[in-house]
Amino acid sequence: MNVTFLNPFVEAAYEVLIQETGEKIQRGDLSLENGHYVMDDVTVIIALVGAVEGNVFYSMSESTATHLASKMLGENFSKLDGLAQSGIAELSNVITGRAGMKLAQAGYEVTISPPTLLLGKGATISTLDFPRIIVPLQTLEGDLVIHLAIREGIKPAMKISQMIVPPKV
Amino acid sequence: MDVEMLKPFVEGAAEVLQIEVKTTVDKGNLTLQKSALTTDEVTVMLNLVGDIRGVVLFCLSQETGLKMVSRILEQEFTEFDSMAQSGIAELGNVITGRSTVKLSKAGYRVDISPPTVITGKDVKISTLDFARIVVPLKTELGTIEIHLAIRENKQERLANSDDFAPIIAPQAS
Repeated sequence: MNVTFLNPFVEAAYEVLIQETGEKIQRGDLSLENGHYVMDDVTVIIALVGAVEGNVFYSMSESTATHLASKMLGENFSKLDGLAQSGIAELSNVITGRAGMKLAQAGYEVTISPPTLLLGKGATISTLDFPRIIVPLQTLEGDLVIHLAIREGIKPAMKISQMIVPPKV
Repeated sequence: MDVEMLKPFVEGAAEVLQIEVKTTVDKGNLTLQKSALTTDEVTVMLNLVGDIRGVVLFCLSQETGLKMVSRILEQEFTEFDSMAQSGIAELGNVITGRSTVKLSKAGYRVDISPPTVITGKDVKISTLDFARIVVPLKTELGTIEIHLAIRENKQERLANSDDFAPIIAPQAS
């Protein structure tokens, strides 16, 4: 398990959740899965491209999602309507963006995709030849689980327009 | 959404289906969908980053998926196992790859994420504030729907432009 990629996500989730919900999450035990992921109620998928590539899923039950959305948006959601869904997608986006910044600080430049939100408990998602590191994060109302199906990408060649022009001797 | 962005996908898909799957392709009418997508049995998802960003979704029935994979891999598939999933993901990847080559000729530099395969009917997929253009492609083996929730990334395009000349501080004389 490559901790270089794991820690930025756990730190980012911790920081963002304190900021957005005031909650201090606790990290549960990590596990590794090779087969497909059987979906929980809500899953947000964000892809990474660049020095680290792959897909990151944020999954949780509907009650965890409504709880987090309620705290984030200062509303009292009883079900996961469009606005709450938007909030959860944005939460995942902010966590991934912050993780991306931390990865960049560690020397891994990444670009993240927009988030896609899936609702469909019991359906399966396959990350093909990417094994997934499962990171459960305990909130006051159930777990927010981060699935990392990522690996080191091929480093892109430097663009000619970005090369430093040497000073005239 | 710019038509210039769509054509490469429609052409790319038709070409790959004709060459790899060896089927005729009949393009149906394009529609715009704003509400969440309700999946068929098999959905391949690929994300795009760069001058164009968003998501590309290929939706098809399991029967069509099995028939296509059987034809591409020249092997009979009766179950949608991990090899079949790999095959259909690769089809999605090749179509998207070919489309991005066409996009680069049109001046758009795009990178594709690794694919994911979603198996399960009636999953709701929301692309939030990105509306989707839906392109139905009818083949001899069934219909594949391509859903494009993409838009131009103007900031990225400027930063990556080769027309940009770095400002060089003048040498102190």
